[in-house]
Amino acid sequence: MRIPRGDLLRSRVVDDPATTLSTALDRRLTGYAVFEPQDAILLDDETRGVLTFEAGIPTLAYCTDTDRGGADALNDLAGPGPYSVDLYELDRADLAEAHEADDLRVPPGLPAERLAADRDLVTRTREAAPEERLGDDADAVATFLEDEAGIEAIREQARAEARARAEEWGLTDALDD
Amino acid sequence: MRNSSPMVEAFAVASGKGGTGKTTSALALGMALAADHDVTVVDADTGMANLLFHAGLDDASTTLHDLLIEEEGSAVEDAVYERFGMKVVPCGTELAAFRAADPERLRDVVAELAADTDVLLLDSPAALGSKSAVLPVVLADRTVIVLQPTIPALSDGLKVQEYARSYGTETAGTLFNRVRDEAGIERVAERAERYFGGETLGVIPESDAARAARTAGEPLLAHAPDAPASRAFREAAKRLDVRDGASGSGDVADRFRSAVVPEEV
Repeated sequence: MRIPRGDLLRSRVVDDPATTLSTALDRRLTGYAVFEPQDAILLDDETRGVLTFEAGIPTLAYCTDTDRGGADALNDLAGPGPYSVDLYELDRADLAEAHEADDLRVPPGLPAERLAADRDLVTRTREAAPEERLGDDADAVATFLEDEAGIEAIREQARAEARARAEEWGLTDALDD
Repeated sequence: MRNSSPMVEAFAVASGKGGTGKTTSALALGMALAADHDVTVVDADTGMANLLFHAGLDDASTTLHDLLIEEEGSAVEDAVYERFGMKVVPCGTELAAFRAADPERLRDVVAELAADTDVLLLDSPAALGSKSAVLPVVLADRTVIVLQPTIPALSDGLKVQEYARSYGTETAGTLFNRVRDEAGIERVAERAERYFGGETLGVIPESDAARAARTAGEPLLAHAPDAPASRAFREAAKRLDVRDGASGSGDVADRFRSAVVPEEV
């Protein structure tokens, strides 16, 4: 993915990528964010993820380390955080060429879902997204279901949560071991 | 009590997310199954009851809430209403009653209802955040998960499935409800089947009739029996293989009483 360098708006460490996604959305930012997981910095790793925005709506995702795009790139990036994030502004025209790469596209709400598991932000993002970005719902849902690792992560988390809460509610004896 | 015919299966009709049409689905499956079975539908969504509105029971004098409050001393049969060919147990909508209710009493109510019916459908809360919300899937033999072809609804459906499985409650099948994009749903349903237990029982088209039925205080299948959505629900009910959840374990009421939550120690 080739993107011209934009104007750096902010550079900071965030615990939760939702902070960055929310900033981009609220500013209706056209540009991109570069996410670098902090564990990658410690390990001297080169994992970096780029997420582009059009008027605040996530458009493309790409992971430099794995050379994967779209939902796969988000999976590669997802982690416990924190992340070092640089947020850049760019002219829409400068992103046009990159935005032709359909295989890197992500549904508008997927970054908030995958990186932040922030359902309110998913909803806010989808509400702000133009109609044509939401038109491929079946595609987005099919893509979501193609992602076996992502689905397994949801299930794993639900299992752990179910067990923890069973303990809280005195239901452990009802658990199926 | 009818112990001579101990065949009963309890299904939790569940979805992690609100707005999927869970109550409409529970009553539609109930009415369709009532053609061949003795069916009881229970509004187990004690925090946000709405089945009573769907079944024309707004003025029900005794509800599940009364059964869950010990001091009320109501008999289970007082909260059972014969409607539309099935037995319906509505829940009240008063917050005070919800607060006073003891969720654990649901186990005894289900046990007693199970002794006198073939199919028990528990309309379950669209939440997993409290004991009362989770108890229906704990108590049920299997779940029917109501989905919509959206990412949030599928994620939440997966979560409900894992919660239920944690308590040994397997998925009987899924229902895709309120479907608008009939062309895209095939791909979605086919992929979803890889992750959900059972089969896709049905794909129910979005329907104005469902809204009109709710306004009229009637289940969809009574209000608009020929609507495409009603036909799809009847087909879905046919695919649901009702088993005897009690197989080999003796008295049904005992099964629910003993299967679940231990007494407080």
